[in-house]
Amino acid sequence: MMKEVIAFKNTKCECGHQNPVGTVLCEACGRPLEEQDRESNEVLEMRYDGMARRSQRANPNFIDRIWNFFSSVKIAVYMIILTLLGSMLGTIFPQENTFLNIDPSTYYKETYGTAGWIYYKLGLSHTYESWWFVLLLVMIGASLVICSLDRVLPLYKALTKQRILKHKQFLTRQRVVYQGPVELESKEWVEQASVHIKKRGYRVHTLDNALLAEKYRFSRWGPYVIHIGLIIFLLAVLARGLPGLHMDQHVAFPEGEIKHIPNTSYYLKNEKFTVEYYSEQDLPKEFQGKNKVLPKLFKTQATLYECTANCNDPSKQPTLKAVDHHNIEVNDPMDYKGLKAYQFDYDLTPVLRSVKPSLVDKKTGKDYGTFQLKIKDPERNYKVGPYSLELKEKYNDFGLDENGQPVTKTPNPNAPAFLFLIKGPNLPAEGVHYFYFPKQVDKERFQQDAINAKMNGGSVPLELDVKGMGNVDLSMSTTYLNIRVDKAMPFVWVGAAIVMLGLVLGFYWQHRRIWLRIDDGNLTLGAHTNKNWFGIRREIAAILRKMNLEVDEKSLDNGGNHS
Amino acid sequence: MGKSRKKVQIIILLLIVILGGYAITTQVSGSNGKPTEGSKAPNFDLLGLDGKVHTLDEYKGKALVVNFWGTWCEPCVKEMPALQAQYDKWKDKDVVIVGINAGEDKMAVENFVKQVHVSFPVMLDPEKDAIQSYGISPLPTTFFVSPNGKINKIHLGQLDLQTLDQQIEELVNS
Repeated sequence: MMKEVIAFKNTKCECGHQNPVGTVLCEACGRPLEEQDRESNEVLEMRYDGMARRSQRANPNFIDRIWNFFSSVKIAVYMIILTLLGSMLGTIFPQENTFLNIDPSTYYKETYGTAGWIYYKLGLSHTYESWWFVLLLVMIGASLVICSLDRVLPLYKALTKQRILKHKQFLTRQRVVYQGPVELESKEWVEQASVHIKKRGYRVHTLDNALLAEKYRFSRWGPYVIHIGLIIFLLAVLARGLPGLHMDQHVAFPEGEIKHIPNTSYYLKNEKFTVEYYSEQDLPKEFQGKNKVLPKLFKTQATLYECTANCNDPSKQPTLKAVDHHNIEVNDPMDYKGLKAYQFDYDLTPVLRSVKPSLVDKKTGKDYGTFQLKIKDPERNYKVGPYSLELKEKYNDFGLDENGQPVTKTPNPNAPAFLFLIKGPNLPAEGVHYFYFPKQVDKERFQQDAINAKMNGGSVPLELDVKGMGNVDLSMSTTYLNIRVDKAMPFVWVGAAIVMLGLVLGFYWQHRRIWLRIDDGNLTLGAHTNKNWFGIRREIAAILRKMNLEVDEKSLDNGGNHS
Repeated sequence: MGKSRKKVQIIILLLIVILGGYAITTQVSGSNGKPTEGSKAPNFDLLGLDGKVHTLDEYKGKALVVNFWGTWCEPCVKEMPALQAQYDKWKDKDVVIVGINAGEDKMAVENFVKQVHVSFPVMLDPEKDAIQSYGISPLPTTFFVSPNGKINKIHLGQLDLQTLDQQIEELVNS
């Protein structure tokens, strides 16, 4: 083929049509262009109706060469095989993005040993984000576009300007051929035959002694429709990289708190989180009596708020509007305008949110009143009865450093401690310093009374006391939700639907064509289909029977590779 | 026909190169969206201890040192005097040092700042938005951002006076 392209062959057919380089069968009459081919009796190569593909050019320049590379089906198949092999590599060990909190530089070595270390070093721990994998996908995309253009335009041209009268050799070298004498006058025979062929759903064109019948041409576009679908699919996946189109994050929502969902204008409140466990009887036999606790159902009653004002101003409180409410369960996410919240995990450790202690006279037991003390972002000044309390310091996780100074050990409120300056009647004018540990365990562990006595050079006549659990506000649990936005998804579905349409077009219909000509009372009939040869032979035998020509279906077979 | 066909070929190949280049760069550089040395510093929108909202744009045209810290983190506390010293040294030369606190209460931060005599701008990040967009995991982490908004260097862990001075010097000269 290449030889012929380079050799500047004369591509003019005897019918007078000038064919482009690379043409196999004359575009007009269908006569084979190569002399060698003309002498043969083999079945014709009917691919693209013998048209030259766009990439077949006499003098390929640089751009043509790139074009030719991508237009090659062989190259496309190699690229698909390479992509498959690459995808397989990515499944050897779990990918980095399947973990929430790991340091991949140590995780793979620790978990999988040397193999894991090599795996990480080769960059296979993020195979699907690696440059070579994305490059392969891009090249397959390029190949899809170029392959399609390279073939669909010549094919379209070939099928729209078909000549009715074809060269005799074109007919006799089809896979389905019939030759024999007819009794009627040629024009009359063609007219009668066309009636019967039309009844079979063919569109019939006649010209004197010749006839062309064709049906289901659209099925030829099936593969190209599939390609368009795949291109839309790939572009949609690519578009997920654009800001705002794709998000996938895990956020913790403590019960009873409104929390901002990062990078959105939404806030979500975990109204209540509940978890149900399997009872001992419901467990499978193997698990019974082994103290296994398996959750049956976990559910977050969630309310979604949208920020309507002061959203990006951290100095002001945002104005929120409730927009959706949903009981989020596993496989039943909240879905609001494409923002989805999936139940992911939970933590049943209660977190102290606020306490309502009373200021009490130690000796008389007199209660001067209560105040609300928030653990997070507490107020600085409180007024209780005749006393004023000023919050001087706050420690989330109380501890002492090497110099014996109070510090907070972690940012988490594990052991919250508050230092107040209390002023009022029966107290020194400069007030007293008072350490307060809201949790009873911390109070004892850090010896609250001893610290306070030491700081003030004697016992303090007042104390803060939470009277009963009614004055303690706890967040009983924390739910973890997987927040997802995938706005490219509809396009992925559209792409997939188009692919399906293309598959249906290509699979369930076949493009069938029948050519015939009558020369001196002799009928020559050739037929072509892209598949189901049995079907077309049967159809032609039936048509010929109507024309009083008894033909055995099998005798129509002219050999060749049947598919 | 020949000419327009060539044009179509070139346009299609160019589109493929642009889209493909875009796909590869976003996939490869966008590993978890964490900023790296040489990438653009992410914007922030944070309330400062001065009660005003500060953004990254405010410091455009100036060399910027962004220090992420917490009062519970010992190395953060230890490097505070070095940061303060460098702030005093460079403040007239278009170099700004800002501290972003990792999600603590305003009061705790205020008390701490007073206690260690910090006068450079300190901002609060209660929702840990900046912590997330800068991809901070260990504290302290310090970003050196050049006047054009690009990250020049990311330093993990405690900084001493000398390396800090060197880094700023390098930043100013970059």
